[in-house]
Amino acid sequence: MKIDLHEKRIPIIKIGNYLIVSIQVDMHDKLAIQLQSQILDEIEKTGAKGVLIDISVLEMVDSFIGRMLSGMASMASIMDTAVVIVGMQPAVAITLVELGLEMPGVDTALNMENGMEMLEKRLREEDNETFESH
Amino acid sequence: MSEKHNITNIKKRIDRIEDILAAVAAGDLDARINSETEDDLSGIEAAIDLLIDDLTDELKQREKMQKEVEDKLSKIQEQQKTIVQQQEDLLELSSPVSKVWDNVLILPVIGTLDSQRTQIMMENLLEKIVETGCTISILDITGVPTVDTQVANHLLKTVTSARLLGAECIISGISPAIAQTIVHLGIDLSSIKTKATLQDAMIFAMRQNKRTDDIKLQSLYINPNEKEE
Amino acid sequence: MTSDKNWEELGRKNLESENDIVMARQLVRHYAKQLRMGIVDQTRVTTAVSELLRNMYNYAGGGEIKIFSGLVDEKDALIITCSDSGPGIEDLELAMSDGYTSGMGMGYGLPGAKRLVDRFEIQSKVNVGTTVRIIKWR
Repeated sequence: MKIDLHEKRIPIIKIGNYLIVSIQVDMHDKLAIQLQSQILDEIEKTGAKGVLIDISVLEMVDSFIGRMLSGMASMASIMDTAVVIVGMQPAVAITLVELGLEMPGVDTALNMENGMEMLEKRLREEDNETFESH
Repeated sequence: MSEKHNITNIKKRIDRIEDILAAVAAGDLDARINSETEDDLSGIEAAIDLLIDDLTDELKQREKMQKEVEDKLSKIQEQQKTIVQQQEDLLELSSPVSKVWDNVLILPVIGTLDSQRTQIMMENLLEKIVETGCTISILDITGVPTVDTQVANHLLKTVTSARLLGAECIISGISPAIAQTIVHLGIDLSSIKTKATLQDAMIFAMRQNKRTDDIKLQSLYINPNEKEE
Repeated sequence: MTSDKNWEELGRKNLESENDIVMARQLVRHYAKQLRMGIVDQTRVTTAVSELLRNMYNYAGGGEIKIFSGLVDEKDALIITCSDSGPGIEDLELAMSDGYTSGMGMGYGLPGAKRLVDRFEIQSKVNVGTTVRIIKWR
């Protein structure tokens, strides 16, 4: 894999059925867009059923990154993959709401463990539905 | 006594009166003429002394009053400082967030809510949610007499922010008066889970807890694929 | 706009690339922290700056940000001025209304930033440029 030293890349880790993305840097807009397509590519490649995006170290989410995250969730959802945003800081949440970005329809979790449980639950519910319909 | 001597004497006395008056004007309130001779002029001198006496009394009284007022003022300022301090303390104290059960936080709110207090409350609650990892919190407003648009919006903001963190926030104890105000103000609280009493909210929270526990157990012991067979 | 006499300039940054936006908002966060603002206020003002700078970058291709501390209406404040020499805004009222976007898919920018700060002043002249000043009490 070619590594461009000038481009910070955010690593995407696959564990079981899930992808884990931990955003550790203050992203500029291009990097945010790049991350979005990177995750979608990875979903297609691995057939992951869920994505956990950890933003616990992000000190700021502005409207651009906010819309990138919620857009990401809708796009993944069309690809039949659930996205959970994990670990948002209280100050970030308050600011986002005041900004007018309430991110309806985006699943959130306090920590990775809760996020993982949410994905498991969703996956199992879907399994059960498939069985019932057969 | 010669006429001339008399006139110089009188002139001296008038000079003295002038000097004394000048001294009083300059602030020396102890200056008096204290004439020892008795004649037509001494009446005037005595009268002037009396006037100075009166003036002195008046001035002393005024000074005393001024000092009293100043004392009172500084006392009031002191008290005001204490009040502000206590208000700040109260703000901190008035939003005690406590964990009452596995996964459940309660924030009982008592007294009038203003914008500043609601703001501090919201920050406290959200911090506590992250700190404890509790996914359900109950905001009990039984002790709140009224809410206005701003406060209702802050409550709404708290619930929405909590959701962004990944936690659910229930508001309990909405009195008929508050329900009426909220609807009259046209505030939409339909996106919020509200419960009539703290007890109802607790029951709801426990059920929610039990559901997650059940799911956890299920995922540990039962594989859905085997269940069908 | 409010006068800027007796304000202490804390820092400034020229805006030329997208990465400068990131650096500028980190600068703002740094000074907000230094002025002992609460964590939520730090985040509010940083986010507001991010919105303003993105607008500036998208519409004017760049600009400059200056950060001051000083007294406004006898209260301690953090004052931030963002100015560009871009096309300017024709209808300020429209640009400040919620949900308005001029095609870049924004619509949160200016009104969003306004909601996050205590005072928001904007001046714009078509073909000359736009200056926005935001003030947050400490």
